[in-house]
Amino acid sequence: MNSWVKYSLNFILIILVEGLVINQLDIHEYFNPMVYPMLILMLPFELGILPTIIISFILGISVDAFSNTFGLHASSAMLIGYLRPTILNYIKPRDGFDISLLPSIQDMGVSWFLGYATLFLSIHHLWFFSLEILKFDVLLILAKIFCSMLFSLALIILLQYILYTPSRK
Amino acid sequence: MYWASFNSRNYHRAQLFNSSSELIAWFVEKKHNITKHFDLEETNANLMQELAAMRTKMPQNYYQLQDRIFYINDTLYKQQYEYVPAEVINSTSTKRDNYFTINKGRLTGIKEGMGVMSGEGIVGFVFDVSEHFSIVKTVLSDNINIPVKLKKNNEHWLLKWDGNDNEIAQVNGVNRDIDIAVGDTVVTRAGRGMFPSGIAVGVVDELISQDGKQTWDVNIRLATDFTSVTYVYVIKNLLQEEQTELELRLVNEGDE
Repeated sequence: MNSWVKYSLNFILIILVEGLVINQLDIHEYFNPMVYPMLILMLPFELGILPTIIISFILGISVDAFSNTFGLHASSAMLIGYLRPTILNYIKPRDGFDISLLPSIQDMGVSWFLGYATLFLSIHHLWFFSLEILKFDVLLILAKIFCSMLFSLALIILLQYILYTPSRK
Repeated sequence: MYWASFNSRNYHRAQLFNSSSELIAWFVEKKHNITKHFDLEETNANLMQELAAMRTKMPQNYYQLQDRIFYINDTLYKQQYEYVPAEVINSTSTKRDNYFTINKGRLTGIKEGMGVMSGEGIVGFVFDVSEHFSIVKTVLSDNINIPVKLKKNNEHWLLKWDGNDNEIAQVNGVNRDIDIAVGDTVVTRAGRGMFPSGIAVGVVDELISQDGKQTWDVNIRLATDFTSVTYVYVIKNLLQEEQTELELRLVNEGDE
């Protein structure tokens, strides 16, 4: 299957999962997991900065529509969309990424993916919760980031194994 | 600016991007059609309890000490509040600002700023309306500022929520010479016409003294369990326009 068709299907699926299931979990004030940043992480390695930001914006604003947050998710998604090409440039191997691979757990290995996802998720959650709380309450913000991060990461790893298969057999 | 905090006019242009828009609401309603069966038992129990409370208030349950002087349809009484029942189809209760989407909209006569309550107590006010759906900004939001009072002596303040615990809301700056104790009932105040006076808000849970301040910060345990609200009533105040117009006249005169 064409990789962009597959990506679009995943896109719609994840937005619905995020808006209708994950957003409704309501476990505790500190646990607000978010899985949609995975879609930005899963874009192809070589994608430029402008398309990444545009995709991040569409993604963020759709999640906003479900959760009535008026641009909060959009701004966080666009922040990591903006940083992604630059950071990838720093962490790439000497001869560049193999562009036939995706940045998924199946293609790049567990430890690489954990580092990669933790980095972007922490930027995303830091921005998101700081803006959401909008008060200088460091303990509350850090507690929310830490608890939500663990949960988001676990869900994203689970989704990785469900949605993606190794690109090369 | 006293009345401005529940006027959400700034957000109107954002209407395409929230859950009262028809596309999003379609998805949300499909989801609700599945999940609404999950907590039927609790919902029924709550409704029965509310019905029982209403039944005890019916006139035939009262022993008449004196001949009736007036009837309820007497001209002394004019209806001020009407209640529109609605179903919550989408809700959150653990975010910083929590909203409910309900399945009644402009076609049922719902307007922005109307109060919303459940059988247990207050929920919030209508924040945005589309043809068939509305969004309710719940008490669990930043800057909610709902006028509340103590039931026993009518001392009144504005209710706030600090975002930490969805069972506890706050009132700040309570004078220490006020007669207030843990366990006192807090109810709504008719102030802005959003709510009739006396709808349950919660009970005083804790009195916190801040160093160097002459006032209490009061924690209030909310009467409504926001994680399980399924049915709500939107409160239509039939005299709201009259009140707003009169109060605006005062504000405008003050400007000149």
